[in-house]
This record gives sequence, structure tokens and C-alpha cells, in this order.
Amino acid sequence: MEAVLKEALTAARARRGGPGQALLGDAEAVARACHDMAQRFHQGGKLIVFGNGGPSTDAQHVSVEFVHPVVVGKRALPATSLTSDAATLTGVANRDGFAEVFAYQLPILAAEADMALGLSSDGDCANVRRGLETGRELDLLTVALVGGDGGAIAASPAVDHVLTAHTADPLVAKELHVTLYHILWELVHVFFEQPGVLEPEEVS
Amino acid sequence: MPPPSSDSGAGGFGGSIEGLYPFLYAGDSDVESVLGEVRRSTEEKAAQTLDLRLRMLDEYAEEIVACAAAMVRRFARGGKLYAFGNGGSSTDAEGLVQAFLQPPAGGSPEEGAPAGGWRPLPAGCLTADVACVTALSNDVGFEVIFARQIAAAGRPEDVAVGLSTSGGSDNVLAGIQEAKQRGLLTVGFAGYEGGRLGELAASGVLDHLFVVPSSSIHRIQESQTTVYHVLWELTQRGLAIQEATP
Repeated sequence: MEAVLKEALTAARARRGGPGQALLGDAEAVARACHDMAQRFHQGGKLIVFGNGGPSTDAQHVSVEFVHPVVVGKRALPATSLTSDAATLTGVANRDGFAEVFAYQLPILAAEADMALGLSSDGDCANVRRGLETGRELDLLTVALVGGDGGAIAASPAVDHVLTAHTADPLVAKELHVTLYHILWELVHVFFEQPGVLEPEEVS
Repeated sequence: MPPPSSDSGAGGFGGSIEGLYPFLYAGDSDVESVLGEVRRSTEEKAAQTLDLRLRMLDEYAEEIVACAAAMVRRFARGGKLYAFGNGGSSTDAEGLVQAFLQPPAGGSPEEGAPAGGWRPLPAGCLTADVACVTALSNDVGFEVIFARQIAAAGRPEDVAVGLSTSGGSDNVLAGIQEAKQRGLLTVGFAGYEGGRLGELAASGVLDHLFVVPSSSIHRIQESQTTVYHVLWELTQRGLAIQEATP
């Protein structure tokens, strides 16, 4: 058995090189997303995160990342995941269908300067797409972390920033998403440390 | 402009200075310069994490194979996997459990799947039951939240996986110790130099320990994710082999 497992490990390693390297090519898109997110936080916005299955745990991870920074001295920023409240999730799914679980919550919980961040390994999760579309209707900044060819989410005009893990393997996509949102968190703070690059709040 | 410092306190900066001098700071050149800095930093971190991930798979190759083979033997005996951790690591525990309980759809040989596709296996996350976690924290203490659940549910054929970045979380250490006492296979994840989980591995309380040699909590978690995904995949492959050879 050990010989076959060793071989499988070598293959698993090989499947991670290309997609990991491809991430370097998306640095510009990451930087633009960080800048827009920093603007929203600067305006008092909060980050609202959602996904299904493995990515639902990532939604919670993103949220805790911003609320409770691991680097001492970084400011806490408001974030919440829409995946941890089983009562609401099952309640909405039961009455309105599973495609509505995130879209239902957004108009009730979101304020004007907020951001909607949806995670989907294949880019085809209907409820994540519905959440992002609802976010757009509410004038939220919309960000998607997807994999594969990006699916319907990447193609949707409702998404401001699409960041893609270039792999069809959902587990490898998840690994790259972890890196992507860690970088988003860390580099949003760079804009806070350079106060000149955030627009003064508009006076209406 | 000075380069962004990753450890400087951002606390009073963004609001107050700009609030005092709102018009001194609006310049496109500044934005472009910081965007360039952020882009370079993104490339650097992406390269670092890929390097660390591949190094983990290389340097721990034998340990990963041995751990997967041991997990195969536990699952073949009807065992269940329990995973636990705090904060970000609690979401990794959930993610790991989710992969076992509800593997990715399909599963082609190119993705490493055995001929029959991925199979669901019994697993539970010890952070998911908020009633249980708050009851134990409130009545006894936060350090027992995993150990007490292992004591209640753990059987000798099971597997306990504790995730920590520091290697020093009291409740993770207690959970691993309780699991070892009850005969479970014990697997740990840590960063830095292994911390107190490293001591548990040295004394034989931890059967398998994977230490990501980094001092960045983010890079540690990213490599841990890769290692537990590969462990999951090899466990799947091993179970298929086990069944094919009577």
C-alpha cells in the first residue's frame, strides 16, 4: 500500500504546482480588490462573506481574520459570515429554497458601504451568485473567489472583482482561496497605513 | 514613500491624520505607488506559500504516507475522525471533516480519485456544537472543550486530529492527551518549531505531527490545508487498495 500512496502523493504534489504559480499572475487583480475593499472599510463598511460546504468554513475564516487579527497592532475590522447561523440557513432554505439563503439575509443585514464576498470552488453555486447579485442591487462592493473557469459567477456582471484559483480541483482551489483571502486581509491594511491613498469621505 | 511595514500598528493612522489634513493626501501617484507595492507583495506571498507547500509535501512525504496508512487501518475498523482547533484552525477542522463526510462530487482518476470515486467517511468537528462548547466552557473551562467530548465519544478505533498554528493551544493539547489515553490515533498540526505539540510528539503522545516551518500564521495555515487535503486523498486511495486486496 505504501508504494501506491507514495505515488499518489507525488501526483498530488504535481497538481499543485501550476495553479500555485498561476496565482502570481493575478497580483494586479488582487491589488485592485484590496484597494476597493480598503475604501469601503474606510467609509465604515463591513464585509459579509458566504459560501457552501468547504467554502462555508472559509467564509467563517475570512470573518474571524478581519474581526480578530492575528498580527498584534492591526485594527479590528467589521466582518460577518452568513454561514454560521444554522437556524436562519435552514429556516430560509425550508421556506424559500436553498438558492435564497444568502440573498435573503443581505437586504436585512447590509448597509450602504458594505461588501459582499462570495466563495465558490467551481463558480456555479446558485446561492452565492444570487447573494452577489443581491449585493449589487444594494450597491455593495461585490467580490468573488472562484475556481475552474469561474462559472456563472465570474460571468455575472454583478461582480466587481473576480479572483480565480486556476484549477478544477475543488480542494486545490480551496487551498489557493485561503492564500487569497489571507493576502486580501493583510494588504487591505497596507492602504490603512498609507492614509493618502484612501479618498476623504464625501460630504453630501 | 516608505514601504508598507507588515507589523506597524495601523490603529490610529487611517482616520485621525487624514481627518486633520484631508487634502494633503489625495494623489493618484500615491495610489499607483501603493498599488504597485501591494502587487509585488502579493507575488512574493504567493511564491512563498507555494514553496512552503511543496517543501512540506517533500520533507514530510514518508510521514504523510505513514499517517494515511494508519488512518486507513482505523477507518477499516469502523473508526471515525474527530477534528478540533481554535479560531482559523477551527474552520480548518470543519473543512477537514467536511471533506471526509461529503467528498467532492465526481472524482476522476486525474484528480487522484480511486476507480469507485471518493467515498464518504464518518467524521465530526468538535467546534461545531455551540451548545456543547459553551456548556463545557461555562461549567468547567475552555481548556476542556475538546478533551471532554473525546472522553464522551472517542473509541479506540477512532482518529483525533488537533490543529494549532502555535502548537501551544491548551485545549488542543488536552484533547490530544485524552485521545491517546483512550487509544485513538493522534495526529497534530503545528507551525513555528512545533511548540508543546512537538513535546507531545517526542514523548509518543502524538503519533503523527506535521510542523510547518514558518513564523507566519497565514503561511502555516495555508500549508496545513494542503497537507490535510493530501492526507484525505491518500486515505481514500488506501481504503480502495485495502478493499481490493482481501
